[in-house]
Amino acid sequence: MTAVTCELCPRGCVIPEGAAGDCRIRVNLGGRLRATTYGRPSAVHIDPMEKKPLYHFLPGAPVFSIATAGCNLHCLNCQNWQLSQRGGEEMEEIYRLDPPELVRAAREEGCRSIAYTYSDPIVFYEYVYDTAELAHAQRLANCFITAAYINREPLRKLCGVIDAVNADLKAFDDGFYRRVNGATLKPVLDALVTMREEGVWLEVTNLLIPTLNDDPAMIRRLARWVHDELGPGTPLHFSRFQPLYRMRNLPPTPVETLDLARREAKDVGMEHVYVGNVLGHEGNSTYCPRDGTLLIGRVGFMITHYALTPDGRCPSCNERIPGVWRSAELFGEQP
Amino acid sequence: MYGPRHLYSRHIHERELRFLALVLLTGCVIALQLGEGLRLAGLQGAGWRAIDLPALERRIDVGNLSEHEAVWYHEATRQETHATGAEQRP
Repeated sequence: MTAVTCELCPRGCVIPEGAAGDCRIRVNLGGRLRATTYGRPSAVHIDPMEKKPLYHFLPGAPVFSIATAGCNLHCLNCQNWQLSQRGGEEMEEIYRLDPPELVRAAREEGCRSIAYTYSDPIVFYEYVYDTAELAHAQRLANCFITAAYINREPLRKLCGVIDAVNADLKAFDDGFYRRVNGATLKPVLDALVTMREEGVWLEVTNLLIPTLNDDPAMIRRLARWVHDELGPGTPLHFSRFQPLYRMRNLPPTPVETLDLARREAKDVGMEHVYVGNVLGHEGNSTYCPRDGTLLIGRVGFMITHYALTPDGRCPSCNERIPGVWRSAELFGEQP
Repeated sequence: MYGPRHLYSRHIHERELRFLALVLLTGCVIALQLGEGLRLAGLQGAGWRAIDLPALERRIDVGNLSEHEAVWYHEATRQETHATGAEQRP
């Protein structure tokens, strides 16, 4: 009987024959590790880019979004737990979409980008990688929405085919990660730095949960770390918690807490700080950090105002706003 | 000696025994269930999960799941296997 050791994420699961890793979908069959959901997503949707959320990457573009079962985190407040906390054999809905079919479907639906999202796409790494390579060959962008709990070498390789990441930095506290997510903080911070080094467009989301990670001092430490290690131009999203899954005992995050977090982050020098999951909040929109001009107005996932110049500058003061504003910036002008 | 009172108490005695047996049987079933749960939980503490393997294989056979070989893994060393209890079949 041959056990195998998975090297994909910091868990390093040692998996006996006939069992799965902690993620439930990487299974040891006959002494070989199998990616059992390869080409078999259980969620397929077309979303606006703003839903990911990616606010500085091809704004307003529809993005073909997929996920398979499984996850390497076990967050008590997971909003996709029916998908993430189950193995492939437990799913009712499974679609057959091997990489070429997936890329073809995205193109047919008029999407210029594919998002690997909902559960954590780290666990269906092989499917992401092969699809992303094919997508690039057809000038489609790849977006990776993740909690960034991944080892350095697999991540480095993946960054070669990924264009944009929204990474969930759940708290700036290792104890929180252990209690609420079943993970640890340091590998996540290392992964974010690696993504920045590899030149992938990166935005960071922090979901604020009342009493658990909404301490202003912790928020300030998180924002300072993002500022120092990832840069002040990194978009930072503070998202509103909704009681879900195994965390229904806490109320939704008060808007005042999100406002406070936004102020703290701006105080340490972050230039683009957003508030998420609050309809119509002024923190949904993008402003010029130099003169305050409204550049992109948003209500929910809709863009209501767009004033950026084609090369991504403020029309009033010509300040360059960091981001990827047109797909030509990724692939060059269409021949 | 064989009046109605004796018959009544003998009847109660048998019923009590049956009830006691039922309680013991229920207790045994609960204990077995708990024991199996604890055994699996103890094994899974090492970073792997027992799964419904026949269900997985059925879904692979009909094409609903895949046998695509993963990357980023190696055969576990003896030390890794022993340290994590992965030598035990789930």
